[in-house]
Amino acid sequence: MAARGRSRRTLSFSVDSVGINRGESLPPTLQQPTPVFPVMEQKPLPLTGGEEAEYLLALKQDFRGAMRSLPCFIQPAAALRDVERYSDKYHSSEHTDGLMDWTPDWQRFPRELRIHARKPARDGVSVARSDAQSAQKKKKKKVREKEEVLIKLETLQKKEEQQSEEDDDDDNTEQKKKQEDDDADGDEEYDEEEFEEETDYIMSYFDNGEDFGGDSDDNMDEAIY
Amino acid sequence: MTAQEVRLCGLLLHEHFGEVVEKVGTHLLRSGAQNLRTIIHETGLSVDLVKKSLMVLVQHGACLFSSGRKGPGSPTEYRSGCDRILRILRYPRYIYTAKTLYGDTGELVVEELLQRGHMTMSGTVKTVADRLTQNMEEGRSMDYSEVSSAFSKLVETHFLQRCPKLAGAGTADSTTSAIPPTPESFPDCYKVPHMTLVGRGKRQLAAEDGEDQRNAKRQKMDSEVDEGIYWQVNFERFHLHFRDQAIISAVANKLDQTSSEIVRTMLRMSEVTTSPAATCTKPLSANEIFRSLPASYNIPRPILDQYLTLLVDDPMEFVGKAGESGGGMYVVNLHRALANLARATLESVVQERFGSRSARIFRLLLRKRHLEQKQVEDFAMIPAKEAKDMLYTLLSQNLVQLQEIPKTPDYAPSRTFYLYTVNQLPTARMLLQNCYKTVANLIERRLFESKESKRLLEKSQRIEAILASLQASGAEPEQLTEVEEMITAPEKQQLDALKLHINKLDSAENQVDETIFLLESYVNSTATSTV
Repeated sequence: MAARGRSRRTLSFSVDSVGINRGESLPPTLQQPTPVFPVMEQKPLPLTGGEEAEYLLALKQDFRGAMRSLPCFIQPAAALRDVERYSDKYHSSEHTDGLMDWTPDWQRFPRELRIHARKPARDGVSVARSDAQSAQKKKKKKVREKEEVLIKLETLQKKEEQQSEEDDDDDNTEQKKKQEDDDADGDEEYDEEEFEEETDYIMSYFDNGEDFGGDSDDNMDEAIY
Repeated sequence: MTAQEVRLCGLLLHEHFGEVVEKVGTHLLRSGAQNLRTIIHETGLSVDLVKKSLMVLVQHGACLFSSGRKGPGSPTEYRSGCDRILRILRYPRYIYTAKTLYGDTGELVVEELLQRGHMTMSGTVKTVADRLTQNMEEGRSMDYSEVSSAFSKLVETHFLQRCPKLAGAGTADSTTSAIPPTPESFPDCYKVPHMTLVGRGKRQLAAEDGEDQRNAKRQKMDSEVDEGIYWQVNFERFHLHFRDQAIISAVANKLDQTSSEIVRTMLRMSEVTTSPAATCTKPLSANEIFRSLPASYNIPRPILDQYLTLLVDDPMEFVGKAGESGGGMYVVNLHRALANLARATLESVVQERFGSRSARIFRLLLRKRHLEQKQVEDFAMIPAKEAKDMLYTLLSQNLVQLQEIPKTPDYAPSRTFYLYTVNQLPTARMLLQNCYKTVANLIERRLFESKESKRLLEKSQRIEAILASLQASGAEPEQLTEVEEMITAPEKQQLDALKLHINKLDSAENQVDETIFLLESYVNSTATSTV
């Protein structure tokens, strides 16, 4: 700034050429951003109405609506709600039918964009499909668990009938267990403990005091309570 | 790709393709050419979703893919452009033009192609015939040949074109050129394949489910003759048509109906001989124009000459004289007409925003190029204080620029001329960006309004569905009124007001798009010519 340092009221440009006359004050300086919705001195013109404008409007809204139902309108998986609701089962079927899910001509697309659809359930992106899949898995698991429980009950029944020959029975049950149920490894020990003396009580829980006081007799310094 | 353009493209993609495609699309617009893994990593979406959205974008022509920059082995790169996505704003206008030129059939053909991006001819014909049959009375159905003829007419007049063959789509071809081929570079871009589609449109009735499945199977077994030939809408041709219409209506407004008919005839005669980027049409002799005038306008020859002279002398310079042979050779100055139309748009913008006196100053500066402060006051005949105020308002809005001309090499302010000037092209570009921002604001306001009343809208939709199902199953009027009364009177008022607002905002978008078209054509025309 050329005219700095002197405390005289000279401006850096000639007043005449820009048109500010003497005695007139400059407009007030702006100290904050301009308002978001400034007041308009001139009101805008109204929209052109008419048949053509209305027809164009109808076309536009129809087009938007039609695009929403086409398969190219991709919606991400719906956000999981906090609580599972009964109506989810019925809402899920709404989104999954696009107008003839399009099969693109793969000649026109790069090969890397191919999604290999292994199952029909994999194509859809909605949570409903994947939920149905996991629900099926859960159902299968539950069914399998039920089968396992039934098998266990059957084997227990058979064991009660064959309690006269314990060793053989134990071996048999061991073999049967190994053959029938891979998961029931812990049952061997369980059976032996329980059926040693034909009581209802599990033997390892009972402590008959034989071990008490027999240990560490050498060190008499510590008090024995 | 300015920030306003990207924002508008994002909103358009969201409305028409969903938010997943919007995310991928805006990412591509902002970052330029990228390969698939980068897109997946940076958008944070799942692989399947990204692949699907890229396919949708490529299908609609919004995204192009090419083999990577580093040579034939690098992964394919995807790039996207704003222009194609901004065309979505103009879709209703394209459909309406097709309707005025080729009737309902043409309208539906163009609408189907716009909705699907690319389609084969047989697919389009079948879908359109089915749609037309839906709306016809019972017992009548649409013949495929009618639809095919409408399709062929659209192709003959170049409104539809074949999609360019994408070499190297299946394999990474090292011979693909760096620039993707334009549709025009193929010789049979506008050739309709030789096939006769025999059949009629099918009406979709509820009882026909089994039959439809059987029909669908039979259709798949028929070998498609036009396998692999896809058609798309030729937007450039539609733009040329809009440009011609704008010129004709401008002439009609400025002069009279007969002159506009003469200009329309001239443009129609030179439709095929003029290239899209031409500055002016090929010269036409007055004799030819006289012969080609429509039969309803039988004006005598000397009157035609007078009209032509009037058109040539008009300051808008729509028509120019190129020679004297054949009774006078006349051309339509396309680029100059566009420049004048853009200038008229700028002037009207200034007039509506700042008043007619500011508009007078603006027009003065456009004509006289550079003026000093004092000269502006004198020529515009406005008192000094007000003229100064108006000039400064225009300057602060960047519609007027200040040009310094120094007398001395040190640019001393007291010894420099300060001249006001208006540059038409940069001002037009700035207003174009303002238009994009306007449309984006309109869309956002519309979304905000519908989101506020979402509950009400859902309720009214449900009630409409109930009413429709009741009517279909034949209910008594009392039940219908009972259901209608589920919406209370103030709610109905609210709904009506909401509908009115949304319609207004939509209609405003259409109107702003007309201005966008004019300014865009002007800016693009100056890019090629040196005017």
